[in-house]
Amino acid sequence: MSANVQTAPLLAIATVQNVVDQQYLTFTLSGEPYAISILCIKEIIQFGQLTEVPRMPTFIRGVINLRGAVVPVIDLSARFGKFATVVGQRNCIIIVEVMTGEEKHSIGVMVDAVNAVLEIPAKEIENTPTFGTNIRTEFIEGMGKIDGKFVIILNVQHVLSMDDMAALVAERSGNTIDVMNS
Amino acid sequence: MIPDEYLQTFVIESKELLEQMEEALLKVEQAPDDPEIINAIFRAAHTIKGSAGMFGLDHIVTFTHAAESVLDKVRSGDIAINSVLVASLIEAHDYLKVLVEHVAKGMSPSSEIDEYGKRLISQLETYLDKTKESESNPLTVVTPNANVEPVQTDVVGTDYWHLSLRFGVDVFRNGMDPFSFVRCLASHGTIVQLVTIIDAIPAAEDMDPESCYLGFEISLQSNEDKRTIENVFNFVRDDCSIRILPPHSKISEYQDLIHELPEQEMRLGEILVSCGTLTPEELESVLHFQSQCDEALQQPIGEVLVEQKMVSPPVIEAALKKQEQVKENKKAEANLIRVDAEKLDELINLVGELIIAGAGTNLIARRANMPDLIESTATLSRLVEEVRDSALALRMVQIGGTFNRFQRVVRDVSKELGKDIELIISGAETELDKTVVEKIGDPLTHLVRNSMDHGIESAEVRLSRGKPVKGSLKLNAYHDAGSIVIEVSDDGGGLNKEKILNKAIERNLVAEGANLTDKEIYNLIFEAGFSTAETVSNLSGRGVGMDVVRRNIQALRGTVDIESQEGLGSTIRIRLPLTLAIIDGFMVGVGNTVFVIPLDMVVECIELKAWTNDERDGQCLNLRGEVLPYRRLRDYLNTQGEQGQRENVVVVRYGDHKAGLVVDKLMGEFQTVIKPLGKLFQGEKGIGGFTILGNGDVALIVDVPSLMNQIEHEKAVEEMTVSRASRSYAEVI
Repeated sequence: MSANVQTAPLLAIATVQNVVDQQYLTFTLSGEPYAISILCIKEIIQFGQLTEVPRMPTFIRGVINLRGAVVPVIDLSARFGKFATVVGQRNCIIIVEVMTGEEKHSIGVMVDAVNAVLEIPAKEIENTPTFGTNIRTEFIEGMGKIDGKFVIILNVQHVLSMDDMAALVAERSGNTIDVMNS
Repeated sequence: MIPDEYLQTFVIESKELLEQMEEALLKVEQAPDDPEIINAIFRAAHTIKGSAGMFGLDHIVTFTHAAESVLDKVRSGDIAINSVLVASLIEAHDYLKVLVEHVAKGMSPSSEIDEYGKRLISQLETYLDKTKESESNPLTVVTPNANVEPVQTDVVGTDYWHLSLRFGVDVFRNGMDPFSFVRCLASHGTIVQLVTIIDAIPAAEDMDPESCYLGFEISLQSNEDKRTIENVFNFVRDDCSIRILPPHSKISEYQDLIHELPEQEMRLGEILVSCGTLTPEELESVLHFQSQCDEALQQPIGEVLVEQKMVSPPVIEAALKKQEQVKENKKAEANLIRVDAEKLDELINLVGELIIAGAGTNLIARRANMPDLIESTATLSRLVEEVRDSALALRMVQIGGTFNRFQRVVRDVSKELGKDIELIISGAETELDKTVVEKIGDPLTHLVRNSMDHGIESAEVRLSRGKPVKGSLKLNAYHDAGSIVIEVSDDGGGLNKEKILNKAIERNLVAEGANLTDKEIYNLIFEAGFSTAETVSNLSGRGVGMDVVRRNIQALRGTVDIESQEGLGSTIRIRLPLTLAIIDGFMVGVGNTVFVIPLDMVVECIELKAWTNDERDGQCLNLRGEVLPYRRLRDYLNTQGEQGQRENVVVVRYGDHKAGLVVDKLMGEFQTVIKPLGKLFQGEKGIGGFTILGNGDVALIVDVPSLMNQIEHEKAVEEMTVSRASRSYAEVI
């Protein structure tokens, strides 16, 4: 059981070390293309009925009912410190599985649009540049080349780190009053 | 070796039996004449001995045997129960517990523990010696005839050897042939009777043809000594159960044999036949005689046998008892099933899903406006509700078991302290979730010890204060507003407010000159580091590790409060949620979001306008003469969306607090399955969980107590910043 659980993220890391060619899902976020390894993706659903949770930072959009399970939805654009995503026609929620310690969590990621599932050969993936991107470097796993253009491959474990996000939530709810008063 | 899982079962069972034994031992002091209690102690010891023997735990068998012999004498009335005996039996019980714990850890006891055990055995044996003199020596009576004489003798009349053989499952696999032993036996004497015991053979589909399920009961005429006969079975002794009784054995040995035989519900006659006390022919003639009797006069077979002077009454009694025991065991087995807690949780989860699905169907039926469908969904949801209740009841246990454990604690601690303290238990039948019961034990022990140590005064002080010498400690439990309340109260000296306050100031927990209510002062004893060793026997020293108690209770989402009257005693009140996965909720709308408030906490709903006529929007309203603070959820939660036509106040109560929550819409009752918040949202205080509504939407469950706390906290912070701001403003000027 636990071995099974761990394979997904482990394999995702393995690709960077040029072991196997892997498939990636590409999607758009405020006009820019990104990619994540399909191994950690459970499913993609249409952006629909969402319940907002009050007093949460903007990057937590709310929660959805995924066949009886309550799954939080993260606004990736807001998570990267940009503006909150404006809901349009092509919005999607990608359901991703991340590991926190021994536990497996499902998280929904809200994006502008999903594009395609592509195979990016390992030799086409460059190491993360130390600067020159507009999101935190630890969020990036590598830069994939598709048709001569670079696509940021995200490190899902870091972008959706439960500890990191939970700390932000706690910090915010503790600070609300000060913000209100000042 | 023994598989671990079996050993685990042994450990669990033994612990349970030891608990029963302890409970009975504590009771027996008050009611020394009740045979049921003594029997209960004996049964527990006997069963432990039996199963320990199965696992080859000889040290447990030896020790339990000593205890059992004493208990047997008590049972027969040869030894009278007194407090000294009970004390040594309790000691024996504790020692057994230690031994079982060693087994659980897979260690063998150290020599020190062994020594202690031997000392206990010799202590117990002194009771046996006292009674020995009164016993007659039965071995001198010899009856040469083959059949039993009706004379009151302790010896069974057969002059044949009696052998009980039960072959181990692996005998065939080890290359042995059970019958070859029988043949070999025949070379040492004449086999008079042989009964094959095939009761152990399972149903055909479960039977393993390579396993041996056989047993024999053999009556043997032989002039050899016991050792020679034993040697026949040298090769199989390890994995078979072999019992050999010489001719003219004592009846008690036959009784033992009957006890130890694998428990099958055999008819009395057959048991006696298989034991070789009677031959089948004799039994047949007895049966014949019985059938001849008039129906109205039908006697139990046992009496018939005695009348015909074929068996002596004690043998019959033992056999009858054996039958009874087997029946009893069967009954107990049928009434209780051990279930994995995980399976229960799974069931409860599924019932939760069922409730959500049912609510969905209900909604669709109403939308479709089909009366028949609405009716059938109504029936369905009623049934689902019942299923929910019984599923949840599976996890509920009575708190009595936990309370009874304190009889022992109180007994021991009062001896240790030299105080005479009585424990009064009430509300033992109050039920709560098993996980809560398991976790409440430690904090309760702490509180009880504390009350006895620091609360109840010594006898002299009590006398001088005009109280009865015997102190009393009360444990009480009851249900109240969706939570369970457990009270630990004593009639001791109570808490000394001044001392607590001085101590708190000394430890910088409270600013000097602070104006605290009584309750706030009492609650100070729960502060970490409040009490230290230097005040052990001091009243204000109450609270050794009280912060741990509070933390444990808070971890169960509970609260703890103290009420005290100086000189008269104090009561510690623990309030715990029933920790149910499913609750009845009250749905309210704030903006576009739906919230669920646990129904148990809702007192009433009122329209805001009807009760407040000041447009300045105060913080409280006058509810039939009562001051009710209220807060708009919309403001607190910062929600957007349309404001409702008229605002309503939901009056909620939790413990002593009452408050109003202003919402936009009231949407009615709803059965709610609590979905945990998950790691991401744990930082948010006012929300206790999620739930899924019939239409598939997610709603938020309001955690009323922590929401109240949060609101109070925010108000306090606000006031502080305001006062700070005005002060700095004044400074600038």
